[in-house]
Amino acid sequence: MNSYIFVKPGMTAREIVERVRSLEGVCLTSTSMRDAGQSDYKNRLRLYDLQTLAPHYNAMGLFSAECHGGARWHVGIMNRRESPFEEIGVLRELMPQVLLQTLIRETNLWGYRPYPPNIIEYVVSKVDIDVWRCFSFLNDIRNMRKVAEVIMKRGKLFSPALCFTQADWATNTYYLGVVKEIVALCGGTEEIVLCIKDMAGVGSPQRIGGLVDAIKQRHPELVIQYHRHTTDGLAMPALLAAARAGAKILDVQEDSLARFYGQPPLLGVQAYLEEAGVAVHLNRQEAEAASQKIRQWIGHYQWAESPFRGFDYQVVRHRMPGGAFPSSFEQAEKGGFLYLMPEILTLMSLYNRIIHYFDVTPGSQITWVTCSGIVNRYMKERGVAGVRHILRLLTRFVEEAGQEMEALSQDEREELLTLFRTASGDFKNLLLGKYGKLPLGWPADWVYQSAFGEEWEKKIGERSERSPLDSLKDEDLNKQKNDLAAALDREPGEDELILYLMHPKDALDYLAFREVYGEAALVLPSDVWREGLQKPGSAVEFSFWGKPCSIGLVSVGDEHEGFIHVVMKVNNSTRVFAVGTPRAKKTEIRMAAGPKDVGAPINGNLWRIGNPERGSLKAGDIVHKGEEIANIEAMKMENAILAPFDGQIAEVCIRLNEVVREGQLLFVLEKAEEQGEH
Amino acid sequence: MERKINKVLVANRGVPAVRIMHTCRDRKIKTTAVYSTPDRLAQHVAMANIAVHIGDAPPGDSYLNIEKMINAALETKSDAVHPGWGFLAENDTFARKVIDAGLTWIGPPPGVIRSMGDKIEAKKIAVRANLPVIPGISNVAGAAEIKEWMEREKIDFPIMIKASASGGGKGMLKVEGEGQVPSALARVRSEGMKSFGDDKVLVEKYVERGRHIEVQVVADQYGHVLHLFERECTIQRRNQKIIEEAPSPTLDDDLRQEICFAAVRLMREIGYVSAGTVEFLFDSTSRKYYFLEVNTRLQVEHGITELVTGLDIVGIMLDVAMGKPLPFKQSDIHPNRWALEVRLNAEDPRTFNPSFGNITRLYSPQGPAVRISPGYYEGADIPPYYDSLIMLIMATGADREDAVRVMDRAISRNLRVEGVKTLAPLLLSIIRHPQFIAGEFSTRFIEERMDELVSKFIEKDSEDEMLKVARYVAEVSALGIPKWM
Repeated sequence: MNSYIFVKPGMTAREIVERVRSLEGVCLTSTSMRDAGQSDYKNRLRLYDLQTLAPHYNAMGLFSAECHGGARWHVGIMNRRESPFEEIGVLRELMPQVLLQTLIRETNLWGYRPYPPNIIEYVVSKVDIDVWRCFSFLNDIRNMRKVAEVIMKRGKLFSPALCFTQADWATNTYYLGVVKEIVALCGGTEEIVLCIKDMAGVGSPQRIGGLVDAIKQRHPELVIQYHRHTTDGLAMPALLAAARAGAKILDVQEDSLARFYGQPPLLGVQAYLEEAGVAVHLNRQEAEAASQKIRQWIGHYQWAESPFRGFDYQVVRHRMPGGAFPSSFEQAEKGGFLYLMPEILTLMSLYNRIIHYFDVTPGSQITWVTCSGIVNRYMKERGVAGVRHILRLLTRFVEEAGQEMEALSQDEREELLTLFRTASGDFKNLLLGKYGKLPLGWPADWVYQSAFGEEWEKKIGERSERSPLDSLKDEDLNKQKNDLAAALDREPGEDELILYLMHPKDALDYLAFREVYGEAALVLPSDVWREGLQKPGSAVEFSFWGKPCSIGLVSVGDEHEGFIHVVMKVNNSTRVFAVGTPRAKKTEIRMAAGPKDVGAPINGNLWRIGNPERGSLKAGDIVHKGEEIANIEAMKMENAILAPFDGQIAEVCIRLNEVVREGQLLFVLEKAEEQGEH
Repeated sequence: MERKINKVLVANRGVPAVRIMHTCRDRKIKTTAVYSTPDRLAQHVAMANIAVHIGDAPPGDSYLNIEKMINAALETKSDAVHPGWGFLAENDTFARKVIDAGLTWIGPPPGVIRSMGDKIEAKKIAVRANLPVIPGISNVAGAAEIKEWMEREKIDFPIMIKASASGGGKGMLKVEGEGQVPSALARVRSEGMKSFGDDKVLVEKYVERGRHIEVQVVADQYGHVLHLFERECTIQRRNQKIIEEAPSPTLDDDLRQEICFAAVRLMREIGYVSAGTVEFLFDSTSRKYYFLEVNTRLQVEHGITELVTGLDIVGIMLDVAMGKPLPFKQSDIHPNRWALEVRLNAEDPRTFNPSFGNITRLYSPQGPAVRISPGYYEGADIPPYYDSLIMLIMATGADREDAVRVMDRAISRNLRVEGVKTLAPLLLSIIRHPQFIAGEFSTRFIEERMDELVSKFIEKDSEDEMLKVARYVAEVSALGIPKWM
């Protein structure tokens, strides 16, 4: 049953491209393992469940499985406690015939800051991925140079993405210019797949058909993949239009996983395209089985779905991408400004006509924070009338005045000149070129005046046209590694270092979780993972390191002094776990931290304060460097505590005959004051 | 003169107390345990027929308190006292008072204990018995005297400062330079005073890369002195043995005979009775051995001699104390296997810091060719006041390789201690080290290779990892959906 497999890991990029070209009709990428979950389930779909699809994917004849990317990675370590490295490992084993695909944000890779070339080189070469889709929210192709170089040198398939939006300025001429840069960067069309990334789902069928056609006219050999969200409700015909115009690969997801903001349903797409006469390469039997499989576990994720579900054709104006749309409503609800959402969406549609870039990470966040910030500020300062006023003013400015400041009154001009004054640092960095150059050039001067006030001309002077890649200096990887080793108190693994490079704080948090809870995230079924065992007598069984494991709940005790005792049966042995509640009284042991602190070198019994010559010591006593100031006895061995420097005892922090812990604070010393010459 | 022993007070705790009670039970002899306040639920207490509370935690109030011990024996109508090792085991005053109270002392005569307990005196006698000794000076008054001796004898640092009454790794310090001499001297004096009630000090040249070899001797009251061959106890940390084996992999048969008979000669000279050990330092480069000291007691590592000879040394001590002659001759002793012992201490294997607390789970090694000498049960507390030994693990085999294999299995597959840290990772790392396997090591083996040994610690264990998952389930079951999710 290998007949459907036409591309496999281990093939060269050229070979893969060749196979796709020679395929009749189109083939599919399933995004179920990344974008589907990101768009409709806040990236909460666990590897434990997703891996059940792998055996089906292994025979389905997909072009690739998109299973890896920035937000999946980040949410993975923060909220699912899964490592993207373990994930790749598991999927590789279960679907060795499937190309694994990631999505990276050019120099940011999977993180939130631009990385210098040496880190890009190190990280990219350590991540076992076959297809590397890469986008820039500015379509600034220069930013892709280093990743393209490393990926192509390693013989992996580079898939540069063209961020797509539908707007008067986003013409075929514009896109052909970007494609030209891509082709030049990649040395032709033989070893890449070009992705058209319609991340908000705004491309009308005709527009998409026209664009694909224009690109194919110019580059007949280029393999084009169309990635589209379904937010506007027009995904299916748009996919057909793309396929008819020559797109060879379409992004879809399992039907039973499809909701409103991800990719269109796979089985439906196949049926629709085939009826229209476009062959779709797919082992339908396996695809149906995969779709069925999802129903066994998708019920565990209802909690992760947004309450704000449903298509929204207005996306063509506000352009919020996939999962950002429902989550912005949730954020608004939490922040108490849900009623302002129509105004915010309207402002977004005006804003994106003033400043041109693509609404995808990090651009989409900049747009959201800026626009929701402005509306909220007006609401706070001037009430509903104020919000209506600014929208009226901006609408007139954009739609009637052709964005000419002269067409406005003096008051109106002054108002716009403060519109962006309180905008975020990210917004200001964008204007200064810190992310790269904007796709259609810099915004008008008044935007700078508005954002920077009197300094605006100076700021324009500082604005850079260079790619961040060119200004980033290589970083000391060893230093990062040592920092991590210090934080972990052990040598980090290569995977751990990369996790740390991408998200320093969250990676440490994740590694600390793993230290305590081990492989819980990998082996527990989703209900137990989320809610534990509900009833005494219930148990969860799984295979652990190749052997059966059974964890059963016997009883959960009442809270006592901040602890709940949970009795469990672990492989038939009774175990009692003392679980600290948030109210757990912390028996605070002060630990030595600062240079003035003298700590206990070992655990033991502090049997003497002071020394035999001068007797006991108290606060205020002067001690000399090297003088014994206390003695700890442990297992019949004496351990003298010596004064680290000449000084005065500021505080004695222990009592005689107290049992002390290693590192516990014993004394605080004050340095002896400098004695003058006499 | 034969006398019967009906009830033995074991003046000890933990592993030695339990060990002695095992043989008493074999002999259908009743036992009396003594305990300090934190030991009231200890294993030796549970094992005895009756137990007496002798005071609070500090050893001076309890296990080192002679009056309380003897009163406890008299009150419980015990007719003999076995001191085990450590505490009062080599205290001649105690032995004397036990005898004066009309009780049987299970050990050597008090006079022998006194002369051998004084390192200075012991060295003199050894010279008299024609045993080689390490150069040094006795009854040291101060740092100046040490300096003078070093200059006179052209001795270089390092040197060893020992309390004249030291033992078990306590009351002795290696000194690397002149600056450390005064503080080391003070510390050794203080530890000697505290642990043994004697602050006399002697100083010796430090023999670099020496090996520690000792001969087990048994003697009866009729002048029969036999040896049960040697043990090698070279693997030490902080002068405390942690791995011992019998026979020694270093000695050839000629040297073995020579050392063993030197030991017998000395013990005969001093009129030794009961079980005791003559310790030697062996310089493997020059193939020279030096008399170190006599341990006038049962030793921690006696079990491996029992394993290779098939004898019960505690049983022999009981018989000798009852006035029976040794039932065998030297020519009857035929060691016929290899035995290895490790000391499972409750310590951080990286820092050797003691790790006291509750042993929440304890699985003892099992399976063929393993002997366990326990001191604690699952659920017991290890108090911070005493030594850190929780269990002795012994393994035997037809040869050394075999015995090492059994020990590897015992530590890596069968043993599990939760709640406190143990030396297990370090012990395993040592017995897997190529130089240990080759039998090439000195007393500095551990300190010279600590980083390498630590780097070989096995990081993960499936049971530990499974329990982490169980902890997660327990927490979520008790507290509900985690906030971060």
